[in-house]
Amino acid sequence: MGKMKIKAKEKGGVVKVKAMFTSVMADKEEAEKKKIKPEFFTYIVAKANGKVVFDATTSGFMSENPLLKFSFTGAKKGDELEFTLTDNNGKVTTGKKKIK
Amino acid sequence: MFKLDRKLITIGMTLALSTTLSVAAASTACIPGVYKSKPGAIDGGVIYPRENGVYTAYRYNTQSTKGVNFGRTPTANEIKAWDVDARPDGKGLPDGEGSVEDGDELFDAQCAVCHGDFGGGGKGYPQLAGGNQAKDKNGVVITLKNQRIKPGMDAPKRTVGTYWPYATTLFTYIRDAMPYAHPKSLTNDEVYALTAYILAQNEIKIDGQEMDDEYVLNKEKLMKVVLPNKDGFYPVIDGPEGPANVKAFFADRAKNIGMGTRCMKDCKDPSSGPGEKGLPAKLMKIKYEMKDVVPPYAFGKDLPPETDAGSVSKGEKLYDSSCKLCHGNDTMGAPRVGDASAWAAVMKKGMDKVLVNAIKGTGGMPPKGGNTDLSDADIKTIIEYMVGASK
Repeated sequence: MGKMKIKAKEKGGVVKVKAMFTSVMADKEEAEKKKIKPEFFTYIVAKANGKVVFDATTSGFMSENPLLKFSFTGAKKGDELEFTLTDNNGKVTTGKKKIK
Repeated sequence: MFKLDRKLITIGMTLALSTTLSVAAASTACIPGVYKSKPGAIDGGVIYPRENGVYTAYRYNTQSTKGVNFGRTPTANEIKAWDVDARPDGKGLPDGEGSVEDGDELFDAQCAVCHGDFGGGGKGYPQLAGGNQAKDKNGVVITLKNQRIKPGMDAPKRTVGTYWPYATTLFTYIRDAMPYAHPKSLTNDEVYALTAYILAQNEIKIDGQEMDDEYVLNKEKLMKVVLPNKDGFYPVIDGPEGPANVKAFFADRAKNIGMGTRCMKDCKDPSSGPGEKGLPAKLMKIKYEMKDVVPPYAFGKDLPPETDAGSVSKGEKLYDSSCKLCHGNDTMGAPRVGDASAWAAVMKKGMDKVLVNAIKGTGGMPPKGGNTDLSDADIKTIIEYMVGASK
């Protein structure tokens, strides 16, 4: 699994976030076709200052290397945005990025 | 006069025609290479030899170029304007520097609209980052070997990280051709920043160092970049051995390009090709036929069989074609189908008598209603239908 690509920018109190994660996002059916192990994120959560700002329950419906975009308020420049990804095999990945 | 000369004209025409034909035949034989396939020619076609045992699929001009005016020597400024490329070893790169972070800003403003966020690709525009960089034991990027037509496999993604051999061309390409709408509008520093950003998105390491946001790329560092697919191309054209490599590669076309002679006769015969040793004949069959089609392909060419089942019975059909003209309405004086009282009166005579009347004709009705092709059994079917429909 490659590194997480996260971009968070604050402007006028609103933080705009773009993030791209590396995963084949292959559900059971697709994995069977490609003869690989099923691998997809089941839960994506983003926290700023320990507070949840975004969460989603996901599955193979998302494309390979999914791209997320969202915005939230209540954080300032220099705060840390942390993504935690859980996949169907129980693997947990985290990635951090400072808000600019 | 024409009649008189007819014999002469005919002889003259024959002579002229035979002369033309023989001249044409002779000239065909004279043209070197035409219709004379040599073993090893691409796809069994025509070849044109050049020097050093090399041949091409196109006619090679052997005329002398002596005395042809090729123009003048370019001026130093003209050469300077033309000589803008950067070599893989970094020669020709201009000075300048740019950070990944600056490149990020520029990319979002000018490039992401087509190439997608993080260079992930957009509709109809090239993907710059992503793709699987994993290699097999020979150092070949695995997904690049995938066939697009094979189901259940990812098509090869040809990004900077998985496909490009040299990073210096990334710099020159962006500088000369990008952004698409207004090329050559970026400064050298901006181009360095964009190059740094794209390399960072592909997770390229320079001198073992990861490219984070603060990483600043310049001429010296760009020269050190080694892209994963650098050795994925053949023949090797770089270096002093390059031309020799290319020559050796094209000398054995059948092996390296995979094209041999075309089979033109007895291809189905197992003894014509490699089939002599129990191997299949030269004729190749389609390996994967398309079967999973709903509804399945039909190969027969006849119409579906006619069935009596359905809303229209045989009797009604025959009635429609032969009897309806008179029995369909009251104007002709014949008992109308659907008129219960008229048919009750007819049937008083009994079925046998009605059948005889219908076959032989009665009153204004011609035998068999005028259609003598109908058999007696058909007539009975029709009467049964007409009686049934008139109750």
